[in-house]
Amino acid sequence: MQATGTQNRTNWAGRILFLLPVSLFFFFFFIYPFFFTLFTSFTSWRGIGAMKFNGIANYIKLASDPTFRKALGNNLIWALCQGFIQVPLACLVAIILVRKPKGWRFLRTAYYLPNVISTVALAMVWVAIYNVNGPLNAILGKLFGMESKNWLGNPDTAIFAVIFQTVIYIGYFMIVLLASAMNISRSLYEAAEIDGASTFQQELHITLPMLRGTLVTTMTLAMAYGMRHFESTFLMTGGGPAYATTTMGIDLYLKMDALRYSEASTAGVFLILLGTVVITLLRKLFGKSDPMSEMAQ
Amino acid sequence: MVRTLKNLVVLLVVLSLTGMLFAQSQSEVAPVKEVELRWASIWVGNDSKAPAVEALVAEYNAKNAGKIKVVIEPQPDYNAYEQKVRTSLAAGQAPADIFTIKFNPTTETFYQSNLLMDFSKVMDGQWKATFDAGSLQQSTVDGVLKSLPMETAILPLWYNMDAFKSVGVTSVPKTMDELYAAFDKLKAAGIAPSSQMTGDTNAWTSMIWFSHLAVSLGGVNVWDKPFTDPAFVEAATILKNMITNYSTSDAVGLGAGGSGGHFLAGRTAVFSNGPWYAGRADLAATPFFDSIKIGSLPPAGDTTDFMISRLQANICAASTKDKSREAAIVDFLQYLTSPASIARISEGSGAMFAIKTDYLPTKSLQKQFYESANAAKTTSFDLEAALGAEVTLEFAQQLGALALGRISAEEFCALVDRKIER
Repeated sequence: MQATGTQNRTNWAGRILFLLPVSLFFFFFFIYPFFFTLFTSFTSWRGIGAMKFNGIANYIKLASDPTFRKALGNNLIWALCQGFIQVPLACLVAIILVRKPKGWRFLRTAYYLPNVISTVALAMVWVAIYNVNGPLNAILGKLFGMESKNWLGNPDTAIFAVIFQTVIYIGYFMIVLLASAMNISRSLYEAAEIDGASTFQQELHITLPMLRGTLVTTMTLAMAYGMRHFESTFLMTGGGPAYATTTMGIDLYLKMDALRYSEASTAGVFLILLGTVVITLLRKLFGKSDPMSEMAQ
Repeated sequence: MVRTLKNLVVLLVVLSLTGMLFAQSQSEVAPVKEVELRWASIWVGNDSKAPAVEALVAEYNAKNAGKIKVVIEPQPDYNAYEQKVRTSLAAGQAPADIFTIKFNPTTETFYQSNLLMDFSKVMDGQWKATFDAGSLQQSTVDGVLKSLPMETAILPLWYNMDAFKSVGVTSVPKTMDELYAAFDKLKAAGIAPSSQMTGDTNAWTSMIWFSHLAVSLGGVNVWDKPFTDPAFVEAATILKNMITNYSTSDAVGLGAGGSGGHFLAGRTAVFSNGPWYAGRADLAATPFFDSIKIGSLPPAGDTTDFMISRLQANICAASTKDKSREAAIVDFLQYLTSPASIARISEGSGAMFAIKTDYLPTKSLQKQFYESANAAKTTSFDLEAALGAEVTLEFAQQLGALALGRISAEEFCALVDRKIER
């Protein structure tokens, strides 16, 4: 018995030792900042000087802030576009490439390439593409006789213009789905072929069901990214015109820029809570198809 | 065991004695420790002030070798630099021993920080007298001077007279009617009359236009009025007309780089910016460089003979309890802000400073800035300098909506007004 007790203690010491580094990082880089942010969200603080407790005043102000409401709506559009356009597109390409058509290796690399290019460089390229005198307007003008549009300067088109330039870069999710699709046993397809199933039927009844778990994970990741989107939009439009492309991340940044740290903290807390709720809902919605749910059980 | 202990004791004694002797000899020969000052400088890279500033620092370091060494930490990305200053101060740390800020009602908050040196405590009368009194006054908050006014600017309009002459206009328009007439001719000739923009966080070039219009319509103290004042509404109406009818088709959403780029490429005939732009190599390379005239926007209202100005860069220093470090900072800043140093920086860059010098530029464009500043009977801040970053951001965001006709000038002004803290 005594030996078992000592062994248990050693096991626990080992576990703690292994968990300690990552726990410390997690504490200092997530738990502490989160509670600090939560605390400052109940204060009036400009980043410098003393904090003054002001209860839920920042939360009331945030709820009535039209810019933040607009940003919230934009983030939802982002999340939906990423989850329900980008991931299905990635899935479609993965399904085609898994059959290893001619030049599939080149296509795989080509689709993934934009993911290794700097966001800043890509954003600048797209600003040039969308310019009134840019190539997009030139092509549309030649093909359809369309008048030049200021894609990023018009509130009606700006949000979709910035989303488009992100959604078409499917490389990351395509690679994940392709890796998963490559693990599907070939014998399933051979059996389906013997039974006379067409290629479309094989994809519909074998590939997609077998990919369901990975699809749920990629959709969750894509939508979570959509909820916290910041970089490319900030670089391309700065959130304008008239806040048409502002996301919650940009709104938070602009609040910090104006030295409204406590209001930025409030937006940050809301962003974290909303992200948590969205991911929890997604996991509930897809239930057992989500490998993360299975791991949790 | 006893023998080991004895050996240990002997060893300790020997080590202690050696240490003491070593320490003594060190204290006898140790030189005075060199004070190293880190300067987070924005005047680097392509900035027109960079060569003169770097030369001045090199000369200072050579003169003070072994005593003080100033190390420039280059900050070529101004937006990232501003962010660094904000986050460093919020985190309870000065971003460097010496750094600059754009002084305005938003950054005035920095004065609440104990991390900044209060120059009013270290400034003697002689040093103080070298500064423009008005700029010093503007940089003083409740008797505290936590940033020294360094670079100042007037923000006039730049007229490409080659473009104007090409449509038969030989002089800078003096009235708004003349301006519109000239703009119509330019437009008919396929030249976009003015560089306008609504992008970035301040819609920079259009913000300068708006400032000229608002001050002319509402007087030099217009910024004290509510933003719903008729002067602002009228200024917004005129600016909307300029953006929609007298600018490039990409003005809505355009950033400062694009706005300046149109002027440099000769696509627009009128631009607005500060004197620092005059020293740019790409501007000097334009075929119309020698034709550029600097001047005001023709008066839209009753206020005339004024110029829009701002404190462009104020210099801050980290507060310290180390007297030798404090003395080193003061010594370097006295050197940097001396009339001789400022004249050298001005000469190379064309920039204007809050330090009084006898310097008068020889280059035509830079000279025009000095002449415009001297000719103005009075000055007034631009919108950003007067009302701060948050109001300017709202101005920029809503300017796009105004230009596209989504909101009226009254609604535009009401939206900006709600961001003003009273």
